[in-house]
Parts: sequence; C-alpha cells; structure tokens
Amino acid sequence: MNIQKRILRNGLLFISPWIIGFLCFTAYPMVSSLYYSLTEYNLISEPNFIGFDNYKQLLFEDDLFLTVLGNTMYMIIVGLTITTVVTIMIAILLNTKNIKGMSFFRIVFFIPTLVPFVVLAILWIWVLQPDSGVVNSILGFFGIDGPGWFSSPKWAKPGLILMTIWMSGNMILIYLAALGDIPKSLYEAASIDGANVLRKVFHITLPGLRPAILFNSITGMIGVFQSFAEAFIITDGGPDNSTLFYSLYLYRNAFQYFNMGYASAQAWILLIIALIMTMTFFKLSKRWGFED
Amino acid sequence: MKKIMSMSLISVLVIILVLSGCSNSNSSSSTTSNSKEFTYWYPWGGDSEKWDKERIADYEKEEGMKVNAVYVPDGITNGKLLSAISGGNPPDLVLGDGNDYQLAYSLAAQGALEPLDKYLEKAGFDENTVLEGFHDVMKQPDGKTYILPQDSNVNLLYYNVDMFEAAGLDPDNPPKTIEELDKAAEALTKLKDDGSFDTLGFIPWIDAGEDPYTWPWAFGADMFDTEANKVTLNEEPMIESLKWMDSYAVKYNPEKIKSFTSGFGGAFSPDHPFMTGKVAMTVNGNWFANALKIYSPDTKYKVAPIPSPPGGRENATVFGTNVFFVPKGAKNPQAAINFALYGNQDKVLAGNINIWRSISIWKEKSDAIKWDNDSVYETVLNVAASPNSGHPALTSVAGEMGDELTSIRDAVIYNHEDPAKLLQKSQDKLKETLEKK
Amino acid sequence: MKMTLPAEEPKHQRHIIPRQKQAKIHQSMNKNMGRFFIYLILILFSLAFILPFLWLISGSLKSSSELFANPPIWIPEVLNWSNFKEAFSAFPFWLYLKNTLIIVVFSCIGAVLSNSLIAYGFSKIDWKYRDAVFIVVLATLMMPFQVIMIPLFLQFKEIGWIGTYYPLIVPHFFGNAFFIFLLRQFFKGIPKELSEAAKMDGANEFTVFWKVILPLSKPILATVVIFQFIEAYRDFLGPLIFLSDNKLYTLSLGVQQIMSQNDPRWGLLMAVGVAMTLPIIIIFFFLQRYFIEGITFTGTKG
Repeated sequence: MNIQKRILRNGLLFISPWIIGFLCFTAYPMVSSLYYSLTEYNLISEPNFIGFDNYKQLLFEDDLFLTVLGNTMYMIIVGLTITTVVTIMIAILLNTKNIKGMSFFRIVFFIPTLVPFVVLAILWIWVLQPDSGVVNSILGFFGIDGPGWFSSPKWAKPGLILMTIWMSGNMILIYLAALGDIPKSLYEAASIDGANVLRKVFHITLPGLRPAILFNSITGMIGVFQSFAEAFIITDGGPDNSTLFYSLYLYRNAFQYFNMGYASAQAWILLIIALIMTMTFFKLSKRWGFED
Repeated sequence: MKKIMSMSLISVLVIILVLSGCSNSNSSSSTTSNSKEFTYWYPWGGDSEKWDKERIADYEKEEGMKVNAVYVPDGITNGKLLSAISGGNPPDLVLGDGNDYQLAYSLAAQGALEPLDKYLEKAGFDENTVLEGFHDVMKQPDGKTYILPQDSNVNLLYYNVDMFEAAGLDPDNPPKTIEELDKAAEALTKLKDDGSFDTLGFIPWIDAGEDPYTWPWAFGADMFDTEANKVTLNEEPMIESLKWMDSYAVKYNPEKIKSFTSGFGGAFSPDHPFMTGKVAMTVNGNWFANALKIYSPDTKYKVAPIPSPPGGRENATVFGTNVFFVPKGAKNPQAAINFALYGNQDKVLAGNINIWRSISIWKEKSDAIKWDNDSVYETVLNVAASPNSGHPALTSVAGEMGDELTSIRDAVIYNHEDPAKLLQKSQDKLKETLEKK
Repeated sequence: MKMTLPAEEPKHQRHIIPRQKQAKIHQSMNKNMGRFFIYLILILFSLAFILPFLWLISGSLKSSSELFANPPIWIPEVLNWSNFKEAFSAFPFWLYLKNTLIIVVFSCIGAVLSNSLIAYGFSKIDWKYRDAVFIVVLATLMMPFQVIMIPLFLQFKEIGWIGTYYPLIVPHFFGNAFFIFLLRQFFKGIPKELSEAAKMDGANEFTVFWKVILPLSKPILATVVIFQFIEAYRDFLGPLIFLSDNKLYTLSLGVQQIMSQNDPRWGLLMAVGVAMTLPIIIIFFFLQRYFIEGITFTGTKG
C-alpha cells in the first residue's frame, strides 16, 4: 500500500464515527424530511403524497407562519445584537490584566448557563413577575413603572432577551478565548503610538474578535431557531402569539396536531432560511473587513 | 495490521458501551400481554390521584388484576400518547381529563384509537343507560364507539355575596343575561386613587373563561357542524362573543388585567383572586366549590348558571367530561374496558362526586351520591340536564381549533382586531387542514 | 487596588521628570481610574447575574404568601424547609435524577471517545480531502435540530427506540460538530514534534492518539465533558419527544410535569429548581479549573 493511500485510510478510519453519524443522523433524516414535506402524514396512516401543497399553504396562506417568522427574526436581529454587544463588553472587562478576583467573576458569568431550561423558566417567571418580581421592584426603586413582561405582548420578547443575555456565558467564554489569542504586542505598539482605550478596542480588539463574532453570531442564530423550552414552558407562545417562535410552531404542528408533513415543510424552509442567513453573516463580515 | 486491530478494538468498545448503557435503561418498558395485567394512564396528581389509586387498589383486590397505573398529566396534548402509539408500546387505557375529550375525539377521527363496541358488548354495557348529553362524544360519524365517559363537570358563575351586598346588588338575583352581567361587573369594579385596580367585578377570560369554547358556546356558536363535517367559525354568535370580550378589554386594559392577575395563585391556593376578594365574579367548574371550602372557607359565595345573551344558550355549559379510551395497538383492551366500566359506576365514583360535585353519566340516579339539599349541586344538576349543554368542537382538527380560537381572542382583546376577518381566515385554514386529514 | 504613585504630584517636580516617564505616570493614573470603573461595572454586572439565583434560593424557602408579597421579601421570616420535603415527595426526584445521570454519563463517554478520535483525524493526519470534509462538518453546525427532528423521530420509531434512552445516547457516539471543532483547534496547538518522535519509536497513529495526544488534552476533554454534561442535563426537547414512559423521565420532564398541573405550587417549584441545579454546579466546580484554559479559538495558542 502506498503511503498516500495509507494516510487516507488512517484519516478516514479516525473520522469514521462521524461519517456514520452524518449519514444516519443528519443526511438521511434530511432527505427523508424533504420527502415527508411533500406528503400529508399523521403517523397513524401511511404518508400521502400531495406535492408542494404544504409549502404553498405555509408561504401563502398561513398568516400565523408570518407572525412566527417575525417573532423569530426579532429575536435574531434585536436580541442577538444586544446580546453580542453585552457579551463582548463583559469579555473585554474580564480580559483586563491584574484584576483581583477575576476567576470569581468568570465563574459568576458562566454559572447561569448551567441552569436547566425548566429551572430557567421557573426562575424567570418569578424574576419578571410584574407585581412582585425582582426586576420590576428594582425599576420601581428608581421610580419606573415596570412593564408586564411575559403578560404583555409588547414586552414578552424583551423579557426573553434579558433571559438570553443572562445565560450567554458560552458566548462570553468564546470571546474570552479569542481575546487571549490576540497578540499582546499589538496593544503595546498601539500604546507607544498613544492610542486610547476606545481606539484600541475598535482597531485591535474588535478586528481580532472577528472570527469569534462570526462564530457566535451563527451559533447564536441557530440557537434562536432552536430555542424551544423557554417559550414552551413560560408563555406557550402567548400572549397574543408574541412568543410563538419557529421551533414551537413546528413542534405544535408535528406533535400536537400530528401534521408531520406540514411540519417537515416548515423544517425545510427553516433550513433554507438558516443557510441564507449564514451566508449573509459571512458576506457582512467580509464587507466590514472581516475575513476568516 | 496492528493499527487495524486497535481501531476495531475501539469501535467494539464503543459499541459495547452503547449497548450496555442502554440495555439497563431499557428494562422498564413493559411489554406484557398477560391478560391479568394492563397499563393505565391517568392525568391527575394531588387528591384526585389519591382517589384514583384507591379505586385501582379496590379493583385489583376484587378482580385479581394487576393495574400498571402511570401518571401522565398532559400526555394527550403534548403528543406523548401519539408517540407511544406509533412507537408500538401504547397503554391499554387512557383517562383524559375534562379539557381533553376534544383531542381524544380527534385522535379517534384520525384512526389512533381502538373501536370499543365489541369489548363494551362483551362487558354487558348498554348505551341507553347513559344520559343523552354524552352520546355525541362517544361516537364517531361511522357509528362506532371510541370513547367511554367516566363522569363530567359543568361550569357555573360564582359570585361573592358580601361584595354584591356592598355594591348594592341583590345576591338572590344574580345576572342572567350578558347585559346584567356587564352592569354587575361595572358596579363591582373599584379603582384605587392612582387608577390601578382595587377590585374587578368580572374578567371574562380567566378561570373557565380562558377555555376558548366557554363564551362562544354561551353566545350560541356551534364552531363545527359534525353532520356536514364543516368548520363554522365565522358565525354571528362567535363574533358577538369576541366583541363582548373586547368591550372588557377596551374598558380595562388587558395587559393591566394580566399584571393584576398574574400575582394570583391557581384555583387550589388561597391566593386565587376570587378567594382574596380581588375579583367579585368568575366562571369556574363545579369542583371550585370544594376548593373554596378548603382554601377560603370564609368567602361567602353563591352560584348561578353562566349568563347568556338573548338568542344564546340559556342555562348551559360546555361539559368537562373525563373520558376513557383505548389506543390503537393496546395489548389488553378487554381488561381496560372492564376496568373503565367498573370505574365509572356511581358507587365507585361516589367518593369523588361527594367531594367535587361532579356529575354521573348514568340516567338512573344512585343513592350513593349525597348532595341532597345542596344549593350548588342543584344548580350543577340543573345546568347538566339542560338540553343546551354539550360538547363543542368534536372534530379531527380540535387541537388546531382550540389554539386558533385562543390566538383570535388574544388578537381581539390585545389589539382590538376585527373578529370576523380573523375567524374567516381561521375557518379557511382549518377547512384545508380538515380536508387533508 | 494598588497605587504606584501618590495621586498628586508636586507641580514643581514636573519639569524634571523625563518625558517618557511622565507619560507613564499619566498612564498609570488613568489605569487606576480605569481599573476602579472596571471593578464597578464588573461588580454591578455580577450582581445582576447572581441576583436571580439568590431570588430562587430565597423563593424556595418562602411561604406562599411571602412569595406573592409586594414589595418583594428577600429573607423569609421563617425558613420554610417544608418546600424541599414536599418537592421530593411531589415527584420521584431521585429516580429522575438517576435517569438523567444515566443519559448524561453515557452521552459524555460517547462525546469524549468519538469526538477526540474524529478530531485527531481532522488535525493530526494529513489526508487528502481533509479540509473539504471538515467544511461539511462545520456546515452541520449551521443546521437547526428541528430540521431533522421529525425524520429522526420516525426513524427511531421504525427501529423501536421510541420510549428508550437510545435516541438520547447513541447519536453522541458519532461525533458532534462543535466538539470536533474545539478538539481540533486544541490538537492543532500540540507541537508536531511530540507525535513525530513517538512515530519514530514505531508507534502507530492510534498509539500516538492514545498515549501522546489524549494525556496532553485533559483541559479540552474536561471542557467537552462539561459542555456535554450541561447539554444532556438540561435538555428538554429530546426527552419530551423520545420518552413516553414516565418511569424513564428525566428531571427536566419531571419538573415540567409538576409545573403543568393546573395549579403550580411555586414555593415547591423553586425548591425543585434549587435541588435540580445543585448537582450540575457541583460537577462544574470539580471540573472548572481545566475548563477555561481548554478553549482556544483560533488555534494560535495552546
């Protein structure tokens, strides 16, 4: 056996679990999902082929689907932007050298990500309780009449965004790792040139975080598309469908109404949206001088 | 060669780990076909669970059966049951609680349930002994029986006697029409100096009013035409009921109401708004009388049938019927039905009925039920016997319909949208879904 | 805080300080001010992050009237431990904890074994097409689970896995794009010389992987374990879809089950929340010292 072939064989052997997993748990399900999306299927009787009816209904007749898309996009555009700004800020602060108790702070910011979703739901229902919750009583302390949060169609999504920020320790961690990879010599050089903190942040730190921002934006976006438990448990999509997000609506169609075909069509539209958005993120990061 | 060896070793290791990991976790899925044994899913915790366990224990002793009772609170609504059916390991018997019979009916319409006729016949059941009001939910249009009711609940208007008197209203003359209800609500509502609520007379969409069928039914809406298999959401009574709810939303900001009520406890806690005197009237089930007795014995209250507008359904209620049914693929349906028919006898249910004031499904009155001279139970029986009471939305799209109506109601009360337009859209959507099913 | 210089510098001395040093003094004063603000902001942020936890703990010890009190009560008058007692009897907490841990432990084993093998194949062996295939791996990161959820469900239903732990464990033995990525970055940072030297001594790829690379990778393996542990422990949708028998329920499902009763008892639920969060925090503290050092993002450090 020649060396080239042996290396190829070794490589494939090592990654073989992934190949099997990819075929069984990703590729095949995707293809069959495409098939189911062209059928009408309730799990009990056999799938019934109906062509593109599901897609037609979803895109042109289902008003609720538009609401759902709007809600989900809101969480990505508004929520993810705010989360990104806050997490980068925290990461930069945490990356300051010679600060005492830094490991304590790092742990504090990470611990919320350990909280299981159900507990998260219990907790935040109470934190954002309009009458006797923490947030509104703090706002009340400053003379602000706090909103109804999860009981208000306008404030339910901002409430969920607050919660997302609280549990974004993973993002902070990634930013921290990326910050650690920015060569210190760059900062030293900038100091010698007399650059102030802000200039350093905008000219060294942020460009240095480019790949991490791209990575976090994409995984964050996928995270929004996948987020299910929060809305399922806390608001069940309400009030006034203001928290009916993509995966909750998909779940309802699949496992509460047993329209597996219709839900599969939704899944494929989701895949296409995720693809387009990922490409947009890559484009944007290039336009802003980010390249990977 | 050595490399290949070690590679295959690790793969074998992985596989062994997988198998050993799962085999010991898999042991408890029961696959018995023993005729002396069956699996039963029940929906409730707390006192009802205790009562059900006693019933099961008695049955096991009397019949020498083994009942694998499993607590599955929202098995029908969240798809647990369907995954069990399609996974080939369904329970033999399921008890759906009073809010779930529409979904059970919809499962039957989609072929997920076992027809019961031959098992019922073998057990000596005669459907003519069951009150007429329950026949609609038992049978599908194909004439087969899929659902066996256990017992049922009705909704009533509860009102606070002290608050009535304080507001100058006559507690012996509760509101009968929607107009009277609105007037009483107005008189009973008190604002604080800063404009926030002190007490509210009435909120249409809390407690049983949250159920999407309660008010449309009182206003006379049909929602579904079983004979023509047609969704009929966009009808005048339905529009009226939504507009009426919106009138409350216009008067009292629904967000404020929700903030006002969100601090409240559920019906089984002393913080329920009716118990704390924050709300003077509310629509709730017959069981609420017992919750009041436990958690708020000092609240002086009376009950009346749900008010209705002229042309609506007078003295009526949407039934909250607890139903037994057998999923397709059940291994021991006969044993399941035998137990269900044991469990819905008055003498077995008496313990439950004598606490919660639920109603029996049988025509023949039983001595075991001891609610003579109880004014609440009198109203319960009166409403239950009314020909206007019934089970709405018996259709294969019941799940979708409930969610659609809830979201229409939210759109109307939060954004004051035009109900007729929304109803028409939903009707079209449901029609299409119905045709596909 | 350390002050390296007195805050006020005598004015007349100023002109004799060389320019460079002057800049340094200026800088360090700035630094101290800056540092003060950094502390201030960090402490405020940390408070905001800790507050919900304190609220949970305090809620778990409150009586029901204290829970609904307005303004809120932080320290309950009497510590209401009965919430915990009731929580443990309201549902089979220990059984569900055991179930959850079975899934967690096996999925962690699967994740560590499979992903480190795969990542080795993507970093230490230089085979043809490697980078192209790796792009496919990364692409799967961008696919929401919902896309394959239904067919996976149907697939598992076909082979009779619905209602068992298989769907929640087995896929973890076949790699996960995020972990492959993390491990690959780390492996790439391990100097080539180490594996080359071992190969010179006649070791094959697997021996290098097992004897050289893995022992050096404890931090990143700990990271994988923590992430997978969190993921499996808090997972809700998976168990919701794939499990049906409530004897097999995980804690997440069990808690949601008592929450969805028509009458949630909040004090009890807060107690459940505390009890359910505690084990994972304990595990985290055992592993955390490896944790943050394990992650390298661009692979230039390691």
